Amino acid sequence: MTIQKIKRRTLLKSVGASTIGLPLLEEMLTSKASAAPTKAVPVRAFNVFFGLGIPAPLQTEGFEGVLEPLKPLSDKLLIMRNVDQVRCDEKGINAHYDGASGAFTAEPPNGEARSGGPSIDQVIRKTHYPKGLPPGMVPTLVGGTFFRRSRIGRYVHSYNQDCTVAATMQEKPRDLFDRVFGSISLTGDATDVRRKRLKRSVLDSVVDDYKYYTGVNSPLGAASKSRVADHLDRIREFEQRAYALKEKNPNAPKLPPRSQILHGGPADPGGMGVDITLNELTTEWRLMADLYALAIQMDRTRFGALTFLAAGERIRLTGDYEYNGKKIWQFDDARQQNASGDKGCSHEWWHKFNEKKKNEALRAHAHMKMREVAYFLQRLNGTDSKEANGRTILENSLITISTESGDGRHNNVKRELSGVFHAITGANGRFKTGEIMDVGAEGVDVYNTMLEGMDVKERLGPAKRKTNMVDSIRA
Amino acid sequence: MTTTSRRFVRRKRVLSFLLLIFVLPGSLNAAVPRVVRGLQALYTFDSEHGTTIRDQSGVGQPLDLKIEKPAAVQWEGGVLVVGSSTKILSSAPARKIVNAVKRTNSLTVEAWIKPANDRQKGPARIVSLSANSSQRNVTLGQEGKRYDVRLRSTSTSTNGIPSTLTPNNLAKTALTHVVFTRDALGTARIYLNGKQQASQKVAGKLSNWDKDFRLILSNEITGDRPWLGEFHLVAIFSRALTANEIKQNFQAGTAVKPNNAPSKESLAAATARHVFETRIAPLLARNCLDCHDSSSKKGQLDLSRKAAALAGGESGKVIVPGKAGESLLWEQIKSGEMPPEGQSLTNQEKTLFRQWIDNGAVWSIDLIDPAVYVHDSREGAAWLQRLTISEYIETVRSTVGVDIAKEARELLPPDLRADGFSNTAYNLNVDLKHVEIYARLAEIIVDRMDVLKFAGRFSKSQKLSTDDTMRQFIAEMGKWLLRGPLDDREVTTYSGIATTVAGAGGNYQEAVRFMIEAMLQSPRFIYRIENQRGDGTAWPVGEYELASRMSYIIWGGPPDQELMRAAGAGELQDRTVVKKQIQRMLKDPRAVDRSLMFLSEWLNLGRLRNLRPDPKKFPNWNEELALDMRQETLAFFNEIVWKQNRPLADLLHAQFTYATPQLAAHYGLKPKGPGLVRYDLSSVPARGGLLTQGSILTIGGDEASMVTRGLFILHGVLRGVVKDPPPGLDITPVPSMPGLSQRRIAEQRIANVSCSGCHLKFEPLAFGLEKFDGLGAFHERDEHGNQLRDDGEILFPGAAKPLAYQSSAALMNLLAESPRVQESITWKVAQFALGRPLVAADARLIDQIHKAAQKGGGTYSSLITAIVLSDLVQMTRTETTKSEAYE
Repeated sequence: MTIQKIKRRTLLKSVGASTIGLPLLEEMLTSKASAAPTKAVPVRAFNVFFGLGIPAPLQTEGFEGVLEPLKPLSDKLLIMRNVDQVRCDEKGINAHYDGASGAFTAEPPNGEARSGGPSIDQVIRKTHYPKGLPPGMVPTLVGGTFFRRSRIGRYVHSYNQDCTVAATMQEKPRDLFDRVFGSISLTGDATDVRRKRLKRSVLDSVVDDYKYYTGVNSPLGAASKSRVADHLDRIREFEQRAYALKEKNPNAPKLPPRSQILHGGPADPGGMGVDITLNELTTEWRLMADLYALAIQMDRTRFGALTFLAAGERIRLTGDYEYNGKKIWQFDDARQQNASGDKGCSHEWWHKFNEKKKNEALRAHAHMKMREVAYFLQRLNGTDSKEANGRTILENSLITISTESGDGRHNNVKRELSGVFHAITGANGRFKTGEIMDVGAEGVDVYNTMLEGMDVKERLGPAKRKTNMVDSIRA
Repeated sequence: MTTTSRRFVRRKRVLSFLLLIFVLPGSLNAAVPRVVRGLQALYTFDSEHGTTIRDQSGVGQPLDLKIEKPAAVQWEGGVLVVGSSTKILSSAPARKIVNAVKRTNSLTVEAWIKPANDRQKGPARIVSLSANSSQRNVTLGQEGKRYDVRLRSTSTSTNGIPSTLTPNNLAKTALTHVVFTRDALGTARIYLNGKQQASQKVAGKLSNWDKDFRLILSNEITGDRPWLGEFHLVAIFSRALTANEIKQNFQAGTAVKPNNAPSKESLAAATARHVFETRIAPLLARNCLDCHDSSSKKGQLDLSRKAAALAGGESGKVIVPGKAGESLLWEQIKSGEMPPEGQSLTNQEKTLFRQWIDNGAVWSIDLIDPAVYVHDSREGAAWLQRLTISEYIETVRSTVGVDIAKEARELLPPDLRADGFSNTAYNLNVDLKHVEIYARLAEIIVDRMDVLKFAGRFSKSQKLSTDDTMRQFIAEMGKWLLRGPLDDREVTTYSGIATTVAGAGGNYQEAVRFMIEAMLQSPRFIYRIENQRGDGTAWPVGEYELASRMSYIIWGGPPDQELMRAAGAGELQDRTVVKKQIQRMLKDPRAVDRSLMFLSEWLNLGRLRNLRPDPKKFPNWNEELALDMRQETLAFFNEIVWKQNRPLADLLHAQFTYATPQLAAHYGLKPKGPGLVRYDLSSVPARGGLLTQGSILTIGGDEASMVTRGLFILHGVLRGVVKDPPPGLDITPVPSMPGLSQRRIAEQRIANVSCSGCHLKFEPLAFGLEKFDGLGAFHERDEHGNQLRDDGEILFPGAAKPLAYQSSAALMNLLAESPRVQESITWKVAQFALGRPLVAADARLIDQIHKAAQKGGGTYSSLITAIVLSDLVQMTRTETTKSEAYE
């Protein structure tokens, strides 16, 4: 299925900043390179999370192994090895969750639904925009494509000072689109938006229920079924009217297609995992990634988190995997493991990781994740993402890419939360790029060094702790 | 099979079942009868030869078994001897058994057998519902010297392990009555020869039974667990027989066998009757009886009564049974001469008549009542019942304790009347406004709830998680809110809301809020969802479905905790328990409210709000009077039905009423104290009974139209049928003048040949009310000075001659004592209870209900009890799907 690339220029013409009075990127674009950029490139920080991690040994293969898809961007990334998050371990709760909560916060979780501290992007946001972001902008944009849902730390990766989620997760491309383009609220009233999102989920579940009674498994007879079908039609009408886009403009951006994969409750049947094809997964993710990137390009958001597959994700993936025209692997998790349910999920490859073995399936999964993360990063690296200073959005922003663990075998917490993959962008020349570096430091110190580099005085981690700066990452 | 032949087969089975019911008791001698309640499949092995073992239960589609290797067995006088390994299995999955057991969560497997030896193991499969040696729903087997029963439930394996075993040395090579039961509460028992030999807890629900397993005797489907021995009888029930019932079946022995499938002749007779009652009778009613019923009798031919029809008219016999060619009726129909007006019969309908006469002109009901055929089967179809506004209000109040009456009545679109009631299911559709308002009301309701307190009833934890605790909580709360257990899909959907709330930084309270909001808009809340899929026959309704039917019929609201408990424990399978519950429920004030709602709808009391009498004609009118009239009728009903527990028929002529001083004055009674007070009417002969109350008398409008009043009595009280006036007729009421009273005007209409046919049927009914004006006040003369009378005639539907009455009191007495009126009240109450108009297929059942109710005194309570205990409520007509129907 071909993905309709959303034409940024067409969008700029229509939904145009004229309604919100923001400086147009377009203007910045057309100004000649010779003109010294008096306008500062905005400070941006995003957390990109991918689930299940890359076992530390696989990170040592440079770009020949699972990191191959990052190669085209290698000169814009700093890949950091041997970053450990052991301090994030909480006894009794599994490391997937702890590691996930620790990603970007460097603290152990504070309960089921809270992090242990703010995430990097939020700390930077507070410092650089103490009075809030320009009106009409989404203060923090949180999106993702994922399934495993027990405990929000698995799939939300942006947290406030008070350890609550920094924004509502937009898990369907349409939701994200609506959040960015459909419900621009000049007063920046975030709670209204949140409530609307929650109401939406209520309505979604109601629709699911009615759909069931009109479907093939319905216990109803013909007459009753048609009655319910009528009711469902009315609900759809209601949906349209209640949640229609505010801006009705003939050139208005087209609503992205409906999500085809599972969401909400059915997406996580109690941890038993879902069946999904590579095509379905990447189609949805790329649509999400495109929209998120678009939101950044149009300067509708400068902070937030994007998640590709949750921490401890459970999917049974099928489909042929090709990269650069070569077939790398055929995904068929359940059959290849000769198991069903949760035992047949790709998650199990991580449990079975053995340095001495080939780990082909795991490698293929990790490689694929890197490919999809790279897809998003590339969206911010094209010619249509060049900013006033001649650099791309990717180069100018601080994008932190991380995950929940450095090993998946659950038999050694130290190992599990050590060597957690990290990669960052240069943030407009603040940090080194084009290297794979053996950092050998705690995540909290790495993050605090990043904060220092971003001119942020606040620090993550325990209040009294003295930061050990990791100067090697500074440019 | 084509649809018609499939329907035919279905009817055949239904009829043979009916025949079984009627024939069975007669065929028994002094021997003990077998217990049959809950029977799903029955094999008696009295074929004597052949490879097919017929299912004699008469329930649903028969599940016949086939012997795979005929050489392995021998027939010996009612016994099947299995000498070597073979399989005796059904060709299709045992759907009816699986579905029934899943619903009732209990079962009995019964067998009269004689093992060939006490060494066979495996266990050797005696009776099994399974797929192979590791996948089963239930298997009764022999493991050497013991009997071993494996049962699949949500807490045993898919192989039914751990099994229930008898003690050792009990499996002997002698004829043994082996019975396995598991009740809805999870206790499994094995009885041998009437004595309990094993008891074990087999917990969990049987809801995980596989619907694709076949029934097999004497082996596994895979052929690797043979059992050798004698089969005398095998039966499967969808309930756990009690110890006494098992003793009864043990005493009944194997010699007592139910009759074989009815003979060809009796089947043919039953079919002919069915054809007459559902095809011929409606045709006669719609096309012939206008002119050829007992009273109109054109050409002296009365086609409404069997004897009269067969006797013929002035042209002699019109029907010669078996010879359509010699039947005048057929000639007239064939040539199109009859019916003389209106639409002639279609070719199909004509053929039906011919076939019917040729097949012997079987006439199985004494009187053809056109009222029975007014509604065709489409309206009797199983339409999903949406909660009416009052049911919605009561459901919210009962489940979450919030009073949403004001907002619900203000905001929701009103429920419209159809066929005389506003709870008629096919008319309760949903528009955009409904969806919008249900969403809004859900929000308001949750705002008013103490959400944490409510949640606390179902779970101690207040943690926002999506683990098992949350799922368990959702299942418990959902079961209460949605009137029955949730399945996994539903639990998953609602827990998805919890995660979304978590993903938005919400807390437990918020999550519960939104889940409740979702549940309040769920189809399971807004509608009374029931299983309607099956094999096309009538199935017993599920226990929670029955609980809801009972509570909505009796209370107009959801089941209370006690009823839910009884449903969950499987108690509602037992008629005596159901009776007790009905009695308990009738004592609740909600039963009174519901009955008053029925009255309000039947008599359309809502009309009173909108009365606008001409102030010139009625200068003393005020709106209060209309409200008082409504109160009068409700209080009157309340006293008859609830305070005095009198027969419903007394509503027509009881000599008292309730009135405010204002209303009393209006009626010409001496006003007593303030407020609504009881007035004894024994000395006011003209008044007493519903028809003499303002709420009914105002039906005719300012001019007290005899047509309107008469039609009300005809339709609402007598259940009569009359055609609409022909088009193009000026039906403006003719005003009275000096010398021309309304009665005279009516008599003129009746004298007119083109009007009398229909008007004779209803206008004289209103003659007895002539002295009551358009607002129900009593006068001897009308405003023009015309002398008013109150004598007249009443032609009861189906009667040959009208009955005369001399006064309105006499009219009321005639009505009260009329079996026709009593039946009509039963029909009305039943219609309101079911939420649909009654159709021809219901006629027999309603008749039984009416008789049972009359036996109980003809009171509202006895009627409601009879309705709830009848098959109209206990059973549900199923529709087939491709996957359910097996030929």
